[in-house]
Amino acid sequence: MELELASLLGMWAAATLRSVTPLLLTTLGETLTQRVGVINLGIEGEMLLGACVGFAVAASTGNPVLGFGAGALAGVALSLVHAGLVLGVRANQIASGLAVWMIGLGVTSYAGRAYVGKQVTSLDTLGSPMTANWPFIGVFLEQTSLAGFAAIAIVLFAAWWLANTRSGLAWRTVGESARVAAENGLNPGRIRLYGIMIGGALAGLGGAILSVDYTQTWAQEMTKGRGLIAVGLVIVARWRPALVLPVCLLFGVAEVAVLRLQSTGVDVSSYLLASSPYIIVILVLVATHMYARRALVMPADLRSVFA
Amino acid sequence: MTMNRRILAISLTTCAGFVVVSMLFFAVIGQPPVKTLADMVMFAAGDSYSISETLIKTSPILLCALAAAVPGRLGLISVGAEGQLHVGAIFGTAVVLVASDASAFLLLPLMLMAAAIGGGAFGYLPGILRARLEINETISTLVLNYVGILFVSALVYGPWRDAVNLGWPATMPFPPAAVFPTIGGTRVHLGLVVGVILAVALHFAFTRGRWALSIRVLAGNRKVGETFGLNYRRQVVLLMTLGGAIAGIAGIVEVSAVQGRLQPGISIGYGLTGFLVAWLSAHRPLIILPVSVVVAGLISAGDALQLFAKVPAASVVVLQGLLFATALAVPGFLNRYRPYHGT
Repeated sequence: MELELASLLGMWAAATLRSVTPLLLTTLGETLTQRVGVINLGIEGEMLLGACVGFAVAASTGNPVLGFGAGALAGVALSLVHAGLVLGVRANQIASGLAVWMIGLGVTSYAGRAYVGKQVTSLDTLGSPMTANWPFIGVFLEQTSLAGFAAIAIVLFAAWWLANTRSGLAWRTVGESARVAAENGLNPGRIRLYGIMIGGALAGLGGAILSVDYTQTWAQEMTKGRGLIAVGLVIVARWRPALVLPVCLLFGVAEVAVLRLQSTGVDVSSYLLASSPYIIVILVLVATHMYARRALVMPADLRSVFA
Repeated sequence: MTMNRRILAISLTTCAGFVVVSMLFFAVIGQPPVKTLADMVMFAAGDSYSISETLIKTSPILLCALAAAVPGRLGLISVGAEGQLHVGAIFGTAVVLVASDASAFLLLPLMLMAAAIGGGAFGYLPGILRARLEINETISTLVLNYVGILFVSALVYGPWRDAVNLGWPATMPFPPAAVFPTIGGTRVHLGLVVGVILAVALHFAFTRGRWALSIRVLAGNRKVGETFGLNYRRQVVLLMTLGGAIAGIAGIVEVSAVQGRLQPGISIGYGLTGFLVAWLSAHRPLIILPVSVVVAGLISAGDALQLFAKVPAASVVVLQGLLFATALAVPGFLNRYRPYHGT
């Protein structure tokens, strides 16, 4: 009995980590973009393009890692549209993000038709004969791949980098005040460009992990608003990469718990259950805004675009 | 005068830019650029059939554009018309299911009212979150869109599914009394008339009188408005709710007049398209009227293109995105190369 409970928990933990990995990377990407003072709603489209291109490359080469790389590059490419509109001609950031999203949605629906129903090789799971009989860990490793752990490592590294390095300080300065940054010899335009590009890379990578490693299929509009949820979770994580990890994991636990309701015999429409991630993100936003003063932690230069 | 010239310059450059960008796009996907563009114009407005197809698509786009423009007058960026449209469709359909024997004179106004209440409630929610807790309305409306769409699926796959359908997820077909009448032998329906009347009414509401003035002051500078005793938060809730109600009407009109029953896929992204139209029109109701016809023509031409030239309809979504990006790029572009013209 005890062993069974351990395997059940192991399965849940694995399901949570797998479903939350794309969101984790995308939320980190948007956090870094917003820390340099730019909001990008287009990460929804960048994630979708990453999922599409990543899946296409992984399916045709048989190599999931190449798929991840291609997905990240696709995300960067689309993020350059946002950079051009926002930094190049000073367009409204929210509207520009929506335009980027539309382009990503259209391009992937157009180009992705060829890959509907195709097969893909995903990463190997981490289980081995040695660990198979260990309680909890055995089942957990059996059902997870390296992607989840790599994502966690990336988040931890980004948190350390932003807080402790010279270049991290430069990024934070640009987000607080581009004017002060320029007076101190930094180039705010270039750093904001990097911020948008790294956001695109992480969203594209997240999308590729979603299609290649998690669902292992491509479907039109398959990100289903995960990028938009990420924009909400950035606020919940108080624009701090270190908090992105617990916030996303808690979100994933809540999501998996609601979805598991069905298997416990509760008779709820699967469509109502599918709406739970969106309702959860609204609820955590409400909780965050009720209990915390966000004005103090928001990058100051964001305030002008993002009330 | 210079202001008008600037708007004219921006409009013309945007149109020219969009033509160039869309021809580039056609070239990339391997279609003859000039011919495809000419085909699209023909498919949008070439004969009476094309024109009626375009006008059918105009009505949800026009209503969704007004739904985005109403909060837009206060500087709010609400992208929630898609979800509000679906919730409006649910509320309007509920009336039909409860009172399917009623006469058209009773049923149609009740359906419109119920849809407005449902959509309005779905706009009130992000409105009150913005007013009370400063939760960004763009994010909440975008996320709530998915909720509204899933609610429709939950109902038509669940309690509202008509058993006669043999598994097809849809309600029973609407009785004739619950179908919005069409105009003079065409398939164009009364929803378009509702949209035009609303656009004219909103034009007067936003340009004349005390309310128009207080919104303009608050949109320009919230703090100044509040020192004059204007209530910003109340206007946020009011305009978000009003916008939601208009999108809700779009939902029930589409279900009743075009689909004939509530089912998944009642909207092909009309909410986002409407937002694009509202943005292109700078939230002005009388400019929204022609712009929504043009964008509806683009979408209806895309359908025809898929049918006759085997160009997937998804290309129209790309074109909408490119149109949006062009429109965003042009004003900044003109500023950059003519700084001495001032504003």
